[in-house]
Amino acid sequence: MANSSEKDSQQLRPGLWQTVNERYPGSMITKETFVLLAKLKKPLSKSHLSFVSTAGVQPKNSMPFDTVHPVGDYTFRRVPSNSKPADLVIHQLKYPTRGARRDLNVIFPIERLQELADEKFIGELSENFYSFIGYNMNPEMLEQTLAENIADAVEAEKPDAVLMSPA
Amino acid sequence: MSLQYLKDAARESDTEKLIRYVRLHFGDGNEAAGRKEIDKAWIEALKLLLDVPPTDREFIFETLQSKDASTLAHLFFHLHFYFVKHSGEWIHDGEL
Repeated sequence: MANSSEKDSQQLRPGLWQTVNERYPGSMITKETFVLLAKLKKPLSKSHLSFVSTAGVQPKNSMPFDTVHPVGDYTFRRVPSNSKPADLVIHQLKYPTRGARRDLNVIFPIERLQELADEKFIGELSENFYSFIGYNMNPEMLEQTLAENIADAVEAEKPDAVLMSPA
Repeated sequence: MSLQYLKDAARESDTEKLIRYVRLHFGDGNEAAGRKEIDKAWIEALKLLLDVPPTDREFIFETLQSKDASTLAHLFFHLHFYFVKHSGEWIHDGEL
C-alpha cells in the first residue's frame, strides 16, 4: 500500500499501462518515474499563466500537424494567447472535433482564459500558448525532443504556472 | 503498440504484426475497419483511372527519381488518406 506521499507522486492512473497493453499487445511503454507537481508560489491573480494542450490547435498559416505519419509528429506550434478562434484551426485525426469546430473553447479554452485575465482572476497570460498532437509512437522522442522543446519554449516566457490539457 | 514492438517485428520479418499496426492506424484502433479503409483507398484510386484521363507522368517520374524512399513512404501515407477523403466516406473522428 503506497503512503500518501507516494500516492501524491503518481500522476497517472494506476493500471493505465496494463489497460493499454491489453488493448494493443506489445504497447510496453512504461513510466516508472514522475515529476512532482510544483506548488503555486503566489496567488493566481498575480501569476503569469501559460497553457499547453494536445488538441492539435494551431494558427491557420502554420504547417499543419502531421496527422498521417505512422509514428507521429514531434513538433509543436506556438499559439499567440491573444488569438481569436477564427485565427486557429485543428489538425487532429484521433479525437472527435465536431464540437470543437463549433466552439473551440471546449477543447482549447483560449477565450475563457482571455476573459479570466481581463477580469484579473489570472494575473496575465504568456505571450504564447503551446499545442501539439498526442499521437506519438516514440516515447523517447516524445519525452526527450517534443516535451523538452516545449518546456524550453514555455520556460523562456517565465510563467508562474502552466495549465496542461490533454485532448 | 510500441515503436520497439514494430521494430522487432520488422527485424523478425513478422509481417502480420506490421500490417496489423497499419490497419489499426487507418482504422482508428479497429483492425477490421482499417482493412476496409485500405481497400477503399485503392478502389478510389482505381476508379479515378478507369477512363484513362491524362495524368502528369513527368511529375510522377521526377518525384520517384528525385525523392528519397522515406519521403515517398510518408507520401504514401498521405495518399492513403487523400483517396479515402476523396471517396467521400470519412470514418475518422477528426480531420487531417
